[in-house]
Amino acid sequence: MWAVEILQGNIKMSEYKFSEDQEKEIATIFAKYPVKTSALLPLLTLVQRADQLVKPEAMVAIGKKLDVSPAYVQSVLSFYTMYHTEKVGKYMILFCINISCQLNGSDKLLEHTAKKLNIKVGETTFDEKFTLHREECLAACTEAPMMRVNDTYYGNLTEQRIDQIIDLLD
Amino acid sequence: MSEVTLTIDGKSVTVPKGTKVADAAKQVDIDIPVFCYHEKIGPLGCCRMCLVEVEKMPKLMTACTMDVAPDMVVRTTTEKVEKAQKGVLEFTLLNHPLDCPVCDKGGECPLQDNTFKYGPPDTRMEFHRANNVKAAPLSPVITIDRERCIACQRCTAYSERIEQGQGLVMLNRGFYNEVNTFNNEPYDTRYSGNVIDICPVGALTNTDFRFKARTWDLTNHDTLCAHCGVNCNITVGTRLNKLMRIEARPNDAVDDGWICDKGRWGHNFMESQNRITAARENSVGATQPTSFPNFPIDAPTEHAAEKVAEAFKKIVDEHGPDSVGLIGSAYATNEESYLYQKMFRLLGTNNIDHKTYQDTPGLPIDHYDIEQIESSNIVLLIASDPTEELPILDLRIKKAVTNSGTRLLCLNDQDTALDKYADQKVKYKVGSEASAVDALAEGLARELGDAIEFSAALDQTGISADEMKALVEAVRSSMKVCVVYNPAALSGDVGLRVKRLLQVISKIPTVECGAIPVAPATNAVGAMDMGLVPDFYPGGVSVTDTEQVKSLWGENAPTQAGLSALEMIAKAKSGELKALLVHRSNPAVDFPGGAQVVEALKNLDLLVVHDMLETETTQLAKIVLPSNGPGFDEGTTTNIGGRVQARRKSLDTNHIADWKLLSVMLKTLGDETDYPRAAKVLDEISKKVPGYQGINIRGVGKSGLNREKVSCEEISIGNANIDSSGKLRLRIANYLFAHDKILDASSKLAHHFKASMAFLNEKDAGSMKVGDGDAVRILGNGMEINAEVKVDNRCLAGGVVVPRISNEQGVNGLENLDGSPAWVSIEKI
Amino acid sequence: MTQILFKDINKEGLHTMKVYEELGGYQSLKKAFAQKPDEIIADVKASGLRGRGGAGFPTGLKWSFLAKDVFPRYLCCNADESEPGTCKDRELLLKNPHLLIEGMILCSYACQIETGYIYMRGEFHDLSFIMDKALEEAHAKGYLGKNILGTGFNLDIHTHLGAGAYICGEESALLNSLEGGRGEPRMKPPFPAVEGLYSKPTVINNVETLCVIPYIVNEGAEKYASFGTEKSKGTKLVSVSGHVKKPGNYEIEMGTPTSELIYNLAGGIRNDNKLKAFIPGGSSVPMLPADKVDTPYDYESLAAAGTMLGSGALIVIDDSVNIVETTLRLISFYMHESCGKCTPCREGTRWLYQIVERIMQNKGQLEYIEKLEDICGNMSFKAFCPLADACVAPVVSSIKHFRSDYEEYFKNVGVS
Ligand SMILES: Cc1cc2nc3c(=O)[nH]c(=O)nc-3n(C[C@H](O)[C@H](O)[C@H](O)COP(=O)(O)O)c2cc1C
Ligand code: SF4
Ligand code: FES
Repeated sequence: MWAVEILQGNIKMSEYKFSEDQEKEIATIFAKYPVKTSALLPLLTLVQRADQLVKPEAMVAIGKKLDVSPAYVQSVLSFYTMYHTEKVGKYMILFCINISCQLNGSDKLLEHTAKKLNIKVGETTFDEKFTLHREECLAACTEAPMMRVNDTYYGNLTEQRIDQIIDLLD
Repeated sequence: MSEVTLTIDGKSVTVPKGTKVADAAKQVDIDIPVFCYHEKIGPLGCCRMCLVEVEKMPKLMTACTMDVAPDMVVRTTTEKVEKAQKGVLEFTLLNHPLDCPVCDKGGECPLQDNTFKYGPPDTRMEFHRANNVKAAPLSPVITIDRERCIACQRCTAYSERIEQGQGLVMLNRGFYNEVNTFNNEPYDTRYSGNVIDICPVGALTNTDFRFKARTWDLTNHDTLCAHCGVNCNITVGTRLNKLMRIEARPNDAVDDGWICDKGRWGHNFMESQNRITAARENSVGATQPTSFPNFPIDAPTEHAAEKVAEAFKKIVDEHGPDSVGLIGSAYATNEESYLYQKMFRLLGTNNIDHKTYQDTPGLPIDHYDIEQIESSNIVLLIASDPTEELPILDLRIKKAVTNSGTRLLCLNDQDTALDKYADQKVKYKVGSEASAVDALAEGLARELGDAIEFSAALDQTGISADEMKALVEAVRSSMKVCVVYNPAALSGDVGLRVKRLLQVISKIPTVECGAIPVAPATNAVGAMDMGLVPDFYPGGVSVTDTEQVKSLWGENAPTQAGLSALEMIAKAKSGELKALLVHRSNPAVDFPGGAQVVEALKNLDLLVVHDMLETETTQLAKIVLPSNGPGFDEGTTTNIGGRVQARRKSLDTNHIADWKLLSVMLKTLGDETDYPRAAKVLDEISKKVPGYQGINIRGVGKSGLNREKVSCEEISIGNANIDSSGKLRLRIANYLFAHDKILDASSKLAHHFKASMAFLNEKDAGSMKVGDGDAVRILGNGMEINAEVKVDNRCLAGGVVVPRISNEQGVNGLENLDGSPAWVSIEKI
Repeated sequence: MTQILFKDINKEGLHTMKVYEELGGYQSLKKAFAQKPDEIIADVKASGLRGRGGAGFPTGLKWSFLAKDVFPRYLCCNADESEPGTCKDRELLLKNPHLLIEGMILCSYACQIETGYIYMRGEFHDLSFIMDKALEEAHAKGYLGKNILGTGFNLDIHTHLGAGAYICGEESALLNSLEGGRGEPRMKPPFPAVEGLYSKPTVINNVETLCVIPYIVNEGAEKYASFGTEKSKGTKLVSVSGHVKKPGNYEIEMGTPTSELIYNLAGGIRNDNKLKAFIPGGSSVPMLPADKVDTPYDYESLAAAGTMLGSGALIVIDDSVNIVETTLRLISFYMHESCGKCTPCREGTRWLYQIVERIMQNKGQLEYIEKLEDICGNMSFKAFCPLADACVAPVVSSIKHFRSDYEEYFKNVGVS
């Protein structure tokens, strides 16, 4: 068992390269803070937006930029729910099920959405187009029930509206 | 620091401001239970076990995070507190498996103990406990049982605050928190094992010790680690005369509570197949399989010792006293070294040494204890790489920098891991340390109005005038300086030049100063103190100080400087030296000269090697005497801070002790002193060795005693000059975790062994057209070794750093027999 | 109805500098710069403004706690808005970003701060562009940057996004997160005013709190203090959600009866059902039964009724619901958001969840209720931060007011 893990550790990871544009963006991010580590969350977000996940080699690269260990990067990353280390679909559907949405029938609507996408909550569709997650309150309680698809909020959901939204995404 | 008086459970206690309530309670024997709090790591506030009631505070407070305040009234046994303690313990145990019967922590587990004292009698948890991975390897030597982890974060805080490496971290969030490393890689720092000692449950365990014994069946021996000059305090647990495990035994003055992984797991040598178990004669090349330590009482060993003494006497009678010599050991106890020098001086010679570099006993300024690093506002680190050489010193320096605001200045010819903590890093060219050190001394002297010229050639060092000026200024303007230097890494007479620098610093009226010589060997300071040198009797008494020598050592004591170790080898080669005794040292591999050393040793009429393991040198000996060494021996060692501590035996052996063997030899030579016990030798040391007055075994006790100042001779030094032959100047870097006789291939720490590397500067790599990963041959002194190139500017152009990573590699052979600067060339293979 | 923050909230283009200035935006700066910083702090104190983020700490007092003569200092605007039920800050950020910027400039001037951050929850990614745009505009106008309006006062404000963690709304966790760490709360003391961001004195205020400042500077502390009640001054944004006909953010004068909010502003209970319970201040505060619906909406009255004003999120629950269901959802939230640092919170939230879930599976026993209360007792005020207490609030209050809802489930024990 140890041998396996040792191997894992020793597998030479390919070096992660930031694109030129990313490097430029990183420079503007750094300029915001007097202390480098503050750029950690923004850098993780940057990488994830490009790759749809954060790979171990990216953690190493970010650690190098910020002078922290890759373990530190992973420790921080794993604390936040918005970072993924496994690939997710092109559209990430976060379905709020917290109190205000619950009171407005979100559980049923979530079920409906899952059925429509033909997956279970937490899964990604076979064509890697949609990932469906249960989500805690997204600060749009007055528009409950609501969901967030990538960066867009959709409120006052009904079954029909959900179908429409999903059908319009390509 | 101001004091604060408060009341805890009706008892008044006065402690320094800034003390935590939990620590204050300890002062008056009040037990506030804790899990996450560790006084060396600092408060975390995770476990909530330490809740107490504080008057005027509505909520219960955590005693571990709370600073004492004047007139504070704390209660630790109220109903409210007791209810809270029960509640917290119930939470803590909620998902903790009740596998105490098979847990290695059983019997010494804070979770068991706190539950016994403060806990609820049972649990109201009626659901399945969370399942988690049992017993997974965290490294080759540490096992983690995530199910038992109570997420107290002690271990991760240790990694962050003490090691400062962020290797071990908490991953995930909330209930899914887990202790882990990046990408499941092993957690294998040089001091990783300390997390085992501090884990308050059985989550982090010693893989080697798992399921070997119940903790209460162990016999614990308080002793010292014998791997490096820090001399960390350890407890060795044994059972049925077998070593089971090693733990840290906190001593603030020495180790601050930590030990390195070599201290914890580098003990295989005690039971090695390579042990020398019996005296033997003319048995060149043969090793005998052993059943050490339970071999039969061997009268022949004592007999052999007598024969050795007689043989040396005979050679002295025939060829004069200077035809014999002793290469002592920087790893032996003070007692052994003392008796050995006594024996050879009784034979009439000062041909006594234990090292290959120039040095003198004592310091011209205060010898600081390790603790003083924290109270210094400047630590000047010269030619030392604590991380590789004495890892626990590295922790102390980091602590001083991060917690006490100490500023670190590094003067070195190579980059080290500590550079990151340095305020200023000044790098000189490999081989130019004489000028670098002199330039600093000169600069400081000039500031003092002393226009001393030490003829420092700054231009040859690669240091800019501005850099040197800043360094001078930093030292001059400090309040308290601690100079930490490694004499073993300084070539030629630079060790003496550092002492001259110390003298200059001591003259700055506004600066309080001291130094710590950090030669990596276990008892390097003790060996100097005990007079294992050709020009000094014990306690820094110069051989030429006839009057004192005669009064202490008798009319016949030799008063002419003897040969140094390297000179002895040279004279052996030329045939002038006839007989040599080598104690716990391996010149064939560890001395400069390589093949020439072997030739020289072969040329001797009599080579006696007294050692615990077979080495390249024992193979050349006419007579081999067995030595007990760490684990079995008893005596004292003097650490880098000048602290004399007792090494006590952990394992019994029928084997005759080294000091006893020596007393046999001494008796044979006519010395009438009776040594019934090792402590008697120490008594003699306290009488005969200046600086060691008042040192006795009872006084040394569990935590040691600082010896007095050992006198230091006036220093006389010639001019520095660097010759250059267009090749690369070799710098051998010392690594504690090297693959040698102590850590052999079967060692638990084999994962630390490194490949043979040549660290080159970009410039040189460019001109030689070699790059990262290229295989090369390094040639010097008629020898060659293979290595892989790493281009990383660890040293300036013109030098090459080659770590000593194994015995087989033989890197010391690249150096010249006379110890002069080694120039090597590099060829691509 | 007095409208201070929402006066022009639905004006087309309010988020642009042009419209904002037309409506009188940024007028307060000149007025403020003519005063000494300390005078502004005194004004804010006099206005009686209390923090709108949840704890209700007097804002002026907080500013005056900054460690003397230690610089640089930082301002962090708490735009994490993650308390379930709360969405008022989002509306301000979305529609009136300049108001926040103006408030932050005033605060920074008063507290001698030269760098400010707006910490937004990660899900507000799109909002951060609106904010960045507004910051750019303010920069172009010379309201931000070096030597603002020739006063010699410098200020830069940056947005910073979190990445999904409720706990980062807690001020010290927010600081850790902003420093690039795990969002675990910090030990207090030291308080942020003494050692906050990068160990420097730091002011942390909620979006709404900062948005009030321009009004106080423009109209005077007295005017602001003339609204509201004796001890709860001014107006408050309340997010009304749940079973109401017209959910939305409403600005009310402090002291307005809760019933007014529910039945008048929010149009009453949907389907004309009956009100069963309401949570007045976000999910972290105890719920109240319908008969308390006339409680005036202000700090003191709500406290007297056994709950809190919190972040100003009124969640309305009608009688079609079994409260245990709602409670379980809230426990689940806190379990999910517990940072895991301290034992009572990490273990307690999960245990509560397991027990209530078991009850809902009709497998509970009557003793469970006492057990729940006892566990809650072992959690409250014993954890590292108030998150554990927040989890306890719905459990304890639901048992207190709706014990019969629990008992429903015991009737059917064994029946699944
Ligand atoms: C668990 C927890 C979550 C919190 N979340 C938020 C939040 O999302 N937004 C906010 O403004 N304050 C939040 N707070 C309150 C902040 O800690 C802090 O009191 C507030 O930002 C101070 O600003 P104020 O004085 O303007 O209210 C939270 C507190 C706790 C304990
Ligand atoms: S492994 Fe041990 S020391 Fe580390 S967090 Fe768990 S219980 Fe604490
Ligand atoms: S010992 Fe105080 S909280 Fe853990």
